[in-house]
Amino acid sequence: MRIARLFQKTMFGIFLLFGIIALSTSALCVYTVDRQLSTEYVANSRTIAQTIANSSLDIILNRDLSTLQSLIDQFRELQGIRYIYIVDEHGDWLAHTFVPGIPKEILEGDRSPDGTVERRLPGFGEFVEVASPILDGIAGSVHVGMDKGLIALKIQTAIGQQIYLISIIFIVSIVGAYFLVNLAAHPITQLGGYTRMLAAPDAPTTLTADDARRLLERDDEVGQLARIARHLAHRAETPDSRP
Amino acid sequence: MSAAFSGASRGLGIELYRGSMAYFTEVNRQGGVHGRPIRILGYDDGYQPNAAVQNTLKLMLEDDVFLLFNYVGTPTVTRVLPLLKKYERLHFTLFFPFTGAQPHRELPYGPLAVNLRASYRQETRGLVDHFVDIGRARVAVFYQADAYGRSGWVGVREALSARGLRMAGEATYSRGTKFTESLDRQVAILQEAKPDVIISIGAYEACAAFIRDARKAGLDVPIANVSFVGSESLLALLQSASAADRRDYTTNLVNSQVVPSYEHTAAPVVREYRALMERHAPTPPAGFGTDYTPLPYSFVSLEGFLNAKLLVEVLTRLGPEPDRARLRTVVASLTNIELGMGAPVGFSADNNQGSDAIFYTTVRDGRFVPVTDWSEWRR
Repeated sequence: MRIARLFQKTMFGIFLLFGIIALSTSALCVYTVDRQLSTEYVANSRTIAQTIANSSLDIILNRDLSTLQSLIDQFRELQGIRYIYIVDEHGDWLAHTFVPGIPKEILEGDRSPDGTVERRLPGFGEFVEVASPILDGIAGSVHVGMDKGLIALKIQTAIGQQIYLISIIFIVSIVGAYFLVNLAAHPITQLGGYTRMLAAPDAPTTLTADDARRLLERDDEVGQLARIARHLAHRAETPDSRP
Repeated sequence: MSAAFSGASRGLGIELYRGSMAYFTEVNRQGGVHGRPIRILGYDDGYQPNAAVQNTLKLMLEDDVFLLFNYVGTPTVTRVLPLLKKYERLHFTLFFPFTGAQPHRELPYGPLAVNLRASYRQETRGLVDHFVDIGRARVAVFYQADAYGRSGWVGVREALSARGLRMAGEATYSRGTKFTESLDRQVAILQEAKPDVIISIGAYEACAAFIRDARKAGLDVPIANVSFVGSESLLALLQSASAADRRDYTTNLVNSQVVPSYEHTAAPVVREYRALMERHAPTPPAGFGTDYTPLPYSFVSLEGFLNAKLLVEVLTRLGPEPDRARLRTVVASLTNIELGMGAPVGFSADNNQGSDAIFYTTVRDGRFVPVTDWSEWRR
């Protein structure tokens, strides 16, 4: 019974430790992945917007908007990019990738030719939109919408993988702890049985004479305690030894 | 040939192929061109740009075909054009792509392609002009969200702009949309715009689904489609939906065409087309169309037939020792060719489009017939 309680306390300690590790590393993971992915995606979106802005100038000036559409459709296939649109210097639409139509929030909202804005588009999701001017803005601007949902998904995936790893380590640790605690608990149990045998030699016991001999021969603290117990028991039984 | 032989637009690729094969089979039966038979090596791209690029590389570099022919679609062709530029030293020319987009009609890619059909700009301009003339000035556009849709969208916008008008509204759909899908969201967007007419720039499955859902929602303004749609396939879908829903989805439709009606049997070329389609009953390309029922006649297969007829003329003039490098020169020399498209077909060094003819059709008694009087849609 004492061993079980000892084991429970050890288990509780391990649970507590791993809980703290899991929570703290997950929080750190969320923060780090969110920050790094957001920075990376915004940087990628900006690069894509600038690339389109640079390569679309001739196309726009030639009024070849089907080629322009073909160009943005290719970039739209990149992971994380949910929409791209291009407007001219007057704000008139030149090309876009929206289906089934251009969201009202974008039609009526701010379409600044430069900078980054966060958008919540009902029916589409949440986005970070990066804009890049074409020919310093005199030929229009390119806008690239990055899906924030993808970042959330990547965070969930990273946390999931981390929790999976911690769970495996946790299970291995529990098995190891069980083995180690048993290793330590067994001689203590024998010591308990031995002291009970000294106190009441006639009482039933599972401890054999060989067990008692091996216990007394141990050179560790348990062996010392067993020998001290035997010594005290002998002194208690010898009248001359009483003060 | 790289075209859609599978997927939601397969009817276009298969019918274009069949129309061409009807003529080529007859030419081959009579000994070919300068003793050489003509063969179409057809690959399926499913109307997907990346597949079209892969097919073209294979055709040019592995199969070493003589020329590229009958490609289907704007998003596919616009991605293939840079390949032709890259391998310009091999002198490959793209003959008669089934698209009315601008990139292969203008520099820098114009010299790499030869077009027979009129452009989307011409088709949409004609539609806008006719409808505005009868008081339908609020024009909305339903279009495929890609280079094809954008090409038609630009055509409508420019035509409206020329008349001092702006687009009333627009809605898009994704390429590959099936007839079974709902297009209620697009209908709702356009309903809000309160249009007098809607011009659709799409393929038959999506356009038929849009017409069905628009009519169900009470949006009963005229809906016009351009030639790429595949009129017979569109009509067949609408007729099946009409029968199932017990309402007529085929009214108030206007389709522009770039070839004459196959019902116009007074025209010698139409009689020849019908005779050869019957005689040779061309099948879909090998390995495709197992669950597809070929159409007896269609605007698309007639276009394929005319493409083949003009190509044979080019190859005949090229002489018994065909040389790819001379193709463009031979094409530029073609003037006043009576192909049966209503007006002579011709090219020049600066003009790589043979025909400007547009024909407008509407549905009467379950088939497309020429529009003779626009006033029935007067507002």
